[in-house]
Amino acid sequence: MIMFNGFSHSVMGASHEKTNLVCQDSSAFKVGDHYAVAVVADGHGSKKHFRSHLGSKFAVEATIEAIDRFYEDREALEANLPTNHKLIIKNIEKQIISNWNMKVEKHLAENPVTDEEKSKFTPEEFEAIPPESYYGSTLVAGITGDNYTFGVQIGDGSFVAIFEDGRAVMPMEYNESAPANVTASVCNSNAASMFSSFYAPNRKLIAMYGSTDGLYASFGSEHDFLDYHTIITSQLVNLDTFKEIIKNNLTKRSRFGTEDDISLSCIYNENLLKDRIDLINKRVAENKKAAADRKAAMLEKKV
Amino acid sequence: MSNEHVTEPEVNETQNVSPLDDFDTAETVSTAPVSDDSILDFDDDPLSATSVSKKSLVIFFLIDTSGSMKGKKMGELNTVMEELIPEIRRVGEADTEVKVAVLTFSTEVRWMYSTPIPIEDFEWARLRASGVTSMGAAFKELNHRMSRNSFLSSPSLSFAPVIFLMTDGYPSDDYKEGLRELQTNSWYKFGLKAALGIGQEANDNILAEFTGSKDTVVHAYSGGQLAQMIKIIAVASSQIGSKSMTLSDDTNHELGEEDVFAAKQKLLGQQIQELVSTQTDGDDVPFDTGW
Repeated sequence: MIMFNGFSHSVMGASHEKTNLVCQDSSAFKVGDHYAVAVVADGHGSKKHFRSHLGSKFAVEATIEAIDRFYEDREALEANLPTNHKLIIKNIEKQIISNWNMKVEKHLAENPVTDEEKSKFTPEEFEAIPPESYYGSTLVAGITGDNYTFGVQIGDGSFVAIFEDGRAVMPMEYNESAPANVTASVCNSNAASMFSSFYAPNRKLIAMYGSTDGLYASFGSEHDFLDYHTIITSQLVNLDTFKEIIKNNLTKRSRFGTEDDISLSCIYNENLLKDRIDLINKRVAENKKAAADRKAAMLEKKV
Repeated sequence: MSNEHVTEPEVNETQNVSPLDDFDTAETVSTAPVSDDSILDFDDDPLSATSVSKKSLVIFFLIDTSGSMKGKKMGELNTVMEELIPEIRRVGEADTEVKVAVLTFSTEVRWMYSTPIPIEDFEWARLRASGVTSMGAAFKELNHRMSRNSFLSSPSLSFAPVIFLMTDGYPSDDYKEGLRELQTNSWYKFGLKAALGIGQEANDNILAEFTGSKDTVVHAYSGGQLAQMIKIIAVASSQIGSKSMTLSDDTNHELGEEDVFAAKQKLLGQQIQELVSTQTDGDDVPFDTGW
């Protein structure tokens, strides 16, 4: 029997602490019946997105609600996924955006824009801002079942997955020419068509991570970013004690690195992790050696 | 259907938002100040194996190593670059990592290292001069490498690059074609650019085509001037390049990428000209006189 578990955490950016802004990131994970979801969202920082801390929270909630709804008939969903995954994922994306828009509309109706919020704009500037933009946010959501994984993303942020072979990979392919680029947002009028997604069938997942871009930007290389996730995976067998270490590390990465909000959400297969823990530890050691080799190669003069 | 493994999500709770009814709102946001001691105590932290990278900046040096640079010019340039590296280490804001990439161009173009090197690890390799001046080829190679798939792939890259061209003569290839290609590159467009003409033969007009303006072009006619100019440009451009501009101007209008670039390039030109005007020639022997 598969047992999923997870964690999620968001830290406020050091730059936001300095300017008394709130944390604009949100994160969550959920373990359901034979499925699990990891979600992070990053509210936009610029002036016109003055309620983006709420927008990111709504994005996370909207995603979990959409996934829960699709998994009400899990068996039918899983029977259709292999042949109709593109359509199913597209419908999930649409549901997420629909849920998000409803939450935004409800919140706006109950909490009209205040004079203080308007005071930062000229009347003409304010009129030009679509109301949903006040809540603009990115979204990164990964879902896993017994032997498949898929993810959806709008805007920047990262996925890292570790499958049975113990190697950390970034399963999302980013097409630079596609509309779903790093400037996309859940608040765009055609947001439902701006998602990137991936589907990995017939592979057992050990762990999957979603993170906002503040985490990625705190690394000097993609190799280091991937190695970081392998190390975390090796420690998940002691999650209760490791949670504080992760929280401290994310805080450090924000304070001494990007100064941005950072969120990390994780879902993992407890049983498979226990089975593969020796392999994961072996990968951690291999990565350390590879990093040293890369550094040596980097410092070799060519002239 | 069994619900025994359902876990309520841990939803990030921000300061100004009331809890939702449908979710447990276990506190996951670290908003309270954390003491530096607790953050820095990493003896038991396995995650410290991957270091935290500060916001980073890449400085590109494009250096003419053609035959005409032989002798005093190349000797002086090698010496000043060796002395410059420790100075650049001190430059910029304390929270910026500076990386250096050196492209030499003569008959061939060649990078000193295969990737930009953090300034703490950078060691200057003494250059030799021979061959012709393939500046156009250098521009094409720079265009190829200034990319997220190549030299600008670091996740922590936060600033547009600084690009510093040094040459003593006319290009021997079609530099305009290379420059046209380079001008389509966004990193080049928004990068801080400066150029140094070495000796009498260097053409300041070509250098101004590269940088976009004459006030970011300087000229050195002697070894002493060469040393001064390289240090002025490298230090000023590193400091300005690693400066975090405020996101809005006095009218609260948010600044875009182009505004930031324009402001920084203008500041660089001003600083270079101010510093150059305070330099003295001394008794230095010009490059282009015989001895």
